[in-house]
Amino acid sequence: MKGERTTEPEYSRMTIPFGPVHPALKEPVHLAVAVRREEVVDVDIRLGHVHRAVEALAETRNLVQNIHLTEKVCGICSHCHPTCFTQAIEEIGDIQVPERAVFLRTLIAELERIHSHLLWMGVLAYEMGFDTLFMYCWRIREGIMDLNEMITGNRIAKAMNTIGGVRWNLNVPTERIRRVLKDVEQSTQYINRVLEDKTAKKRLLGIGVLSRDDAIRLCTVGPVARGSGIKTDVRKDDPYAAYGELRDSFSVIVRSSGDVLSRAEVRILETLESVHMIDALLERLPDGPISQSGNVLALMRKIPRGEAISRVEAPRGELFHYVRTNGNSGVERLKIRAPSLANLASLKPMLVGNEIADIPLVVASIDPCISCAERVTVVNTETNKTHIVDVAHLRRSKKQNGQP
Amino acid sequence: MVSLDEILFGIVSIPVVIVLSLFLEGIDRKANARMQRRIGPPVIQPFYDVLKLLRKSYIVPVTAAPYIFILAPILAALCAISSTLIVIANIVLKTHMYADLMIVIYLMAMPSLMKVFGGSSSGNPYAAIGASRMMTMIVAYKLPLLVSMIPAAIKGGSTLSISDIVQAQTQKGVCYALSYPSTALAAVSFLLCIPAEAGVVPFDIPEAKTEIIHGTLIEYGGPYLALFRIAKSTIVLTLVLLASALFFYSDLSLIWGQAEYGFYINSALVFIVAVAIMLLTITVPRTIFARLKTGQALRFFWIIPLGLGLFGSLLSSTGM
Repeated sequence: MKGERTTEPEYSRMTIPFGPVHPALKEPVHLAVAVRREEVVDVDIRLGHVHRAVEALAETRNLVQNIHLTEKVCGICSHCHPTCFTQAIEEIGDIQVPERAVFLRTLIAELERIHSHLLWMGVLAYEMGFDTLFMYCWRIREGIMDLNEMITGNRIAKAMNTIGGVRWNLNVPTERIRRVLKDVEQSTQYINRVLEDKTAKKRLLGIGVLSRDDAIRLCTVGPVARGSGIKTDVRKDDPYAAYGELRDSFSVIVRSSGDVLSRAEVRILETLESVHMIDALLERLPDGPISQSGNVLALMRKIPRGEAISRVEAPRGELFHYVRTNGNSGVERLKIRAPSLANLASLKPMLVGNEIADIPLVVASIDPCISCAERVTVVNTETNKTHIVDVAHLRRSKKQNGQP
Repeated sequence: MVSLDEILFGIVSIPVVIVLSLFLEGIDRKANARMQRRIGPPVIQPFYDVLKLLRKSYIVPVTAAPYIFILAPILAALCAISSTLIVIANIVLKTHMYADLMIVIYLMAMPSLMKVFGGSSSGNPYAAIGASRMMTMIVAYKLPLLVSMIPAAIKGGSTLSISDIVQAQTQKGVCYALSYPSTALAAVSFLLCIPAEAGVVPFDIPEAKTEIIHGTLIEYGGPYLALFRIAKSTIVLTLVLLASALFFYSDLSLIWGQAEYGFYINSALVFIVAVAIMLLTITVPRTIFARLKTGQALRFFWIIPLGLGLFGSLLSSTGM
């Protein structure tokens, strides 16, 4: 009798493909989800659909070109990546960034966090079939996008950073920014109230639970980790840009239940924190130059050979860049660890045990940005098997293929 | 003997029903968009959608059982249209049929069942999940829907004919939603079942776009999808007209006296009330709610609408 219970017939398990093309996942990730009736029993996460070889491309370009290349790593974090990269370059070149430039970088970074979190909130609402909240969230977000355009000239690819400073000064009156932020604050509190409503709680509460131990074991970062009770935030732990001076004007939001609702709360409250932080930032905004005097290309040629790591708290979590310059205004090696890559592995413990109806919500709750996280995958077309390769393996296969 | 009028009605009415139901869907979409602070599509957008789908090519998957796969949308659309026709004939032509309420209930069930058959025959795993969800939903809302008609049938003089119930309301002078406690409860129960039968958020679980990619409809395209679209919007028309006729039929001849065209005014009123019911039971819920899960929907229907319907039936059997 005991054996009968433990062995399950093969037909009771069904594998359904989830992605890479799926209306719920805007990002091309493939989840092979094994289900028994409506319950998820196993998940296999496959990446490799949008690898763009950004790191290899970086090695063929000079430092200034690479700032714009890193901007294109991600559409939503289009300020975090260049910030992270330029910080590394400035560390190698020992360049002092003017105070005002540092504050302006922080301003754009926080505007980016607000718009990213609102975008995410809209996506979450869409996944649970709540189209009205989706429309409202994206409507609020438009105010921030307009601010981005007024300050930098672009809504998405803001091109704010340059080596040793920023490219655009703040020409928008601060009252204008404050007015938009006040609107955002009110609307965000409204969204927060909607989340306390029963219809949203029914879909979010207790879904996709990631325990604190799992969150630590799988090295999760950002709101995912903070939603599971880990107090981690690069802005507080290792302040960069102007976050050291603004340390007292924001707090790290931590929730302990580890479900989708707690991750949503973390992001909503973080949006409010960002609004307050920008308020404080505008008050303390110092005067002075915004970039180094002289041509940026001349500055670039002076960057010596060296290496540096740089960390930034992107909206999705800790973003990590390792840069090794070749002393000839180029990059020898650029390594990007996007936050989504750190968080993707946590999908498995989150998904197992939930229903099919919860899959889109849980996947959206880590706010995956797959194209940022893509690494090399080799697909054998005969057996249809894929495997991730490391550098050593790549060297070996290059030799085996008969190349010198 | 079938008269010429009846033949003409048969020929003209099918396109009229399709146009009416698509127009109703257009109003729903526009209202929904305005509530979401969008401009929204033009009211005739559903016509464009259906016409475009009809012109497109279609695919029958190799894994599908072709006859069931093709037959399902045709039967779904035919049954949905005929159910609407019966209700409209009852209101406009005052046709009297024995037990046509039963026929309408069965015809209304057909599109959902055909989606189950068509979906399961397509061989797609998402469609299989959608079909199983659809079965659960049918179990969930069909029973409350049936039970909610019992008080109206009893009050109408123990009849299963829609025109008898309409006639009884005319004689009473007040519509059933306001006249007896039993029928008022039944009306609430019926209205609560409308979004599930129409398959909109929060009860669009079998077709959840973000979860199972339209479930049973995933393999359908072109004219077959258009037929399912027509079936869906005509079912909405049937439901709201039925609700309007069974529970909200008010005779305005008391106000205007027995005018010559009073009958037309009454019929027009049924349609206006139907549009109001649609806005209340389909547009508003799908704007303000998130999608439920199957278990939650089942629990909801078997507690609130079924409870209300059973209580109403009990009351009506005691004469209240």
